[in-house]
Amino acid sequence: MSKINRRRFVKGSAAALAGTAAFYGPWKHNSVYAQAKPIKLGLTCDASGQYGNSGQDDLRGIKMAIDEFNVKGGVLGRKIEWVTADTETTPATGSRVAERFITREGCTVLIGAVHSGVANAITQVAAKNGVIYLNTNSSAPSEAGENCSRIKFVWDGNGTNFSKAAVKNAVQGVGKNWLLLTNDYVWGHTTSSATKAQVEANGGKIIDNLLVPQNTRDFTSYLLKIQQAKPDVVATAIGGDDIKALREQVVQLKLDGKPAWINNQQDWPDIWGAPESLFGVFGTTWYHKLPLAGVAEFVKKWEAANKDGPIPVPGNVSYNGYMATRELLRAMERAGSTNNIKVIKELENLKVSAADRMQHYDAFMDPVTHQMQQTIYLARRNMKPTDKTDLYEIISWTEPKTVLDDAAPNKCKLAPYEQVPSVDS
Amino acid sequence: MNGTAPNSPDAARLITPTMLVVWLGLATIPLWISQIGLYPYLGIEILIWSIYALSFNLVLGTAGLPSFGHGVFFGVGAYAFGLAQFNVSSSLWICLTLAMLAAALAGVFVALFISHRRGIYYAFMTIAFGQIFWTIAIKWHSVTGGEDGLLKIERLPADLGFVSFDLKNNASFYYFVLAVFIVIVIALWRLTHSPYGRILSAIRQSETRAAHLGYRVWLYKASVFTISAGMSGLAGGLFAMAQLAAFPDVMSLHQSGYIVMMTLVGGGLVSFWGPIVGVVTFLVARDVIGAMTSAWMLWFGLLFIAIVLFKPEGIAGAFRSVVDGGKARAKRAEGVSALRLLFRS
Amino acid sequence: MIDILPHILNGLTLGLLFALIALGFMLIVGLMEQINLAHGSLFALGAYVGMQMLGPRPPMPADWAAAWLALPLGWRYALTLVIAPCVVGVVGALVEFCMRRTYGKDPLYGLLLTFGAAMVIEEAIRLTWGTRDYVLQVPQAISGGFIFQDLIWSTYRFYAAGIAAVIIGLVWLVIEKTPYGAIIKAGAHDSEIVRALGINLSRLRLAVFIFGTMLAAVAGIIVAPIWGIRPHMGVDAVVPAFLVIVLGGVGSFWGAVSAGILVGLAVGLTGAYASEWSLLSMYILLVAIVTFRARGLFGKKSVLEA
Repeated sequence: MSKINRRRFVKGSAAALAGTAAFYGPWKHNSVYAQAKPIKLGLTCDASGQYGNSGQDDLRGIKMAIDEFNVKGGVLGRKIEWVTADTETTPATGSRVAERFITREGCTVLIGAVHSGVANAITQVAAKNGVIYLNTNSSAPSEAGENCSRIKFVWDGNGTNFSKAAVKNAVQGVGKNWLLLTNDYVWGHTTSSATKAQVEANGGKIIDNLLVPQNTRDFTSYLLKIQQAKPDVVATAIGGDDIKALREQVVQLKLDGKPAWINNQQDWPDIWGAPESLFGVFGTTWYHKLPLAGVAEFVKKWEAANKDGPIPVPGNVSYNGYMATRELLRAMERAGSTNNIKVIKELENLKVSAADRMQHYDAFMDPVTHQMQQTIYLARRNMKPTDKTDLYEIISWTEPKTVLDDAAPNKCKLAPYEQVPSVDS
Repeated sequence: MNGTAPNSPDAARLITPTMLVVWLGLATIPLWISQIGLYPYLGIEILIWSIYALSFNLVLGTAGLPSFGHGVFFGVGAYAFGLAQFNVSSSLWICLTLAMLAAALAGVFVALFISHRRGIYYAFMTIAFGQIFWTIAIKWHSVTGGEDGLLKIERLPADLGFVSFDLKNNASFYYFVLAVFIVIVIALWRLTHSPYGRILSAIRQSETRAAHLGYRVWLYKASVFTISAGMSGLAGGLFAMAQLAAFPDVMSLHQSGYIVMMTLVGGGLVSFWGPIVGVVTFLVARDVIGAMTSAWMLWFGLLFIAIVLFKPEGIAGAFRSVVDGGKARAKRAEGVSALRLLFRS
Repeated sequence: MIDILPHILNGLTLGLLFALIALGFMLIVGLMEQINLAHGSLFALGAYVGMQMLGPRPPMPADWAAAWLALPLGWRYALTLVIAPCVVGVVGALVEFCMRRTYGKDPLYGLLLTFGAAMVIEEAIRLTWGTRDYVLQVPQAISGGFIFQDLIWSTYRFYAAGIAAVIIGLVWLVIEKTPYGAIIKAGAHDSEIVRALGINLSRLRLAVFIFGTMLAAVAGIIVAPIWGIRPHMGVDAVVPAFLVIVLGGVGSFWGAVSAGILVGLAVGLTGAYASEWSLLSMYILLVAIVTFRARGLFGKKSVLEA
């Protein structure tokens, strides 16, 4: 009995090891037609959970870029296909979806993230397989720091960038006593630490840091504590549905005047869900009414593609998704190949002009941390809107150089190119 | 006790023919899993959750204890594996052992509070402890990484001294998990068919009677819970290696409920192999139907309700009644009585 | 030092809400000996149905809808508080029909069946309304804030606690002072005698289950403006509900109420000093009390006893 077992075992494992060399799933028998073989992208976007709305908006921007290229005949003569699944704003699901996309669907690039925990989980799986991963909208400073990776590129401004833009003026202009409200996960923690560092560097003081579990709805005890503590400024690192709930309650209680509120970064889908409760000063990477060339055409194209969607105009989340995908496909064309190492090298030296970015300043990829350095905008609620989508009043725009995350390059250790498995599609 | 009559020759064997068939079948999976539209990682998940479900069934099916918070031990094992890897040792065997021990320790702790209860109160307390551990896992950032999970866990090589296997790619890891699975199956089979297992069955049928026969019921309940917790922890450690991370979700009420659903649907109450059938059904349904619609749980939930109402013997039980020559009614009665015994006062 | 009074008040209001949420669950557990894990999903369904009725597209024929929407929000809100639970009660009746097979068998059947029903209802909610956050509209009169002792408080919260107290009082009246309540209590105590007295037991059980479901739904509508409306909100209700029941003692009305208030106070007070741990505090409270007083605060011996 056992002899047969062993033989089958050895045969089985030998075959399995040979089989794993071709883990591209259904494509392995199409190698003859490699020329016309489509490029497959895996879009890991949340459709439910705290960031479900933002995840879907991300998806819209990514799809727009893909459609643009497919209309022109694809990339290097090959059509671009995509597949998407709900990562449920849950890291474990992100891990599972990434495995499925890579091993079963044969995706050679993964795109999409809003929640930093999910992004980290996906990064691990992608790095194991050498698959490039574009972190489109997760803005935890650690994404460019201790959680950076040779295969990952970050396309959003992070908590440090926004803090740097906002904090100095607020400490000097409004007051020195700050209170932090922090969502209890990676993005919240790292963003609040960045804010704390900025506040203290400018002579301010953090009087308390209240941790808010994810999916908190009832902010009553926090608002009571804030009223009792009487800070000059409250800086929040709260995202997704939670910030919507917080804003509702703050506005209901008319607490939006005093203390001053700084809401690090606000995503357009969260604002659109509850526009009346917009208050305080917040950061963003783009706005659909920026008075720059190209913005109006982009907005019109987006509107035409998303006529029946829940949100009428594109915001920063869609914009980041679009820009990331567009630059990836352009990098493939410049490299003349879809080999991951070649594309990574192209992306590492990326520079995009302000006009091409529809932002005020030129943007560039930091080769050490793999984060796109771009213009940071500060905005507040627009008291004189020109139409019902004109919710922001942009109060300042800052050059990427002045809001650099100085701590990140020290914390980021990229694996050398030789250690990254080679992936061709 | 599950399925096999104590007098059947299988009960006395170390390795039964069914086991060999199952192992052979599982060993060939990596060869054909991609062909049928699935992928090797799913196979790994199925094996790991099967180990977890078999360990869980020790408590539910054999001992008749309704534990709705077993996800705790699975999760503790995963975290312990990661923490051991970071802080204690880079030996695979030591880390897995520590995972098992940590989960068993958690099991002893919970068992101390609940082993003198029965029925609904027992279930209540397991849910409460499940929530406590889940909340701690989410809050205790510095140790568990909170909601983001414990990341950068590695698949340590299986070093046997004279040869070392690298487990980084999914196929070789699959065979490692299969090896652990084989060991666990043998251990659980012997356990359920040993005198210890028979006493557990007796306790399941009537605690009062068992106590009157002189057995220290509390000790048996506590010990089986601990053993089950430890083995679930071992599965958890393997899962941490599979995902390269440990997340708190597995400890949530939903996921602890999933393992109950899987075990019941598969027929764990009447069959030793039932839990495996349930795991395969659940995970494949989640993958295949989940790709088509995000409402797959709707259908699985309805299936679960139907089984609870009409077929408590589960899939494996129904299969066995067909194989045993149509003794469907007897199998159903077995399933019904097993279900009833879970909550007898 | 932080002034503790506001947090105590916060805890009390929260406690009344917990008691209200637990009430429907308590009725079904105590008087029908069935654990209704679908309580949370029915709670969520109540919130969704209420939101849909108040919203721009109420589920009624077009001409009725126009007339409905013309009513002032206050009227619509009051009517929704009564109508929406009736709608959810129908769903509850469906669940009860499925549970009929499990009577006479042990509570585990009910537990497992309602767990499955909870998953099914939650998925159905997700399919119908999607996963985005919704907001329940609330009349101006009870929203906004008021100033008391130099702090701004949420008006709605006090209204919610108030109406929770009223509903709790009404339920108590029904159970203690009406003949129907007497029948319900008798049925819980000894169903055989009740049947021998000529009362239709299955209709009684159906009525109690629908009653419990309606309470869950009304709790959903009342708590929705505080907690927000998402498909998963049921879990936030069912776990505290059974916690309150076990803490207060199965089958005891005042047990449920006092346990609810106690849990609310625990959460509110820990919210003042260590807000991250406030969720954990209720479980620790449970473990502590049940370890020393196995039946809970006011528990009586019931069939669920083990």
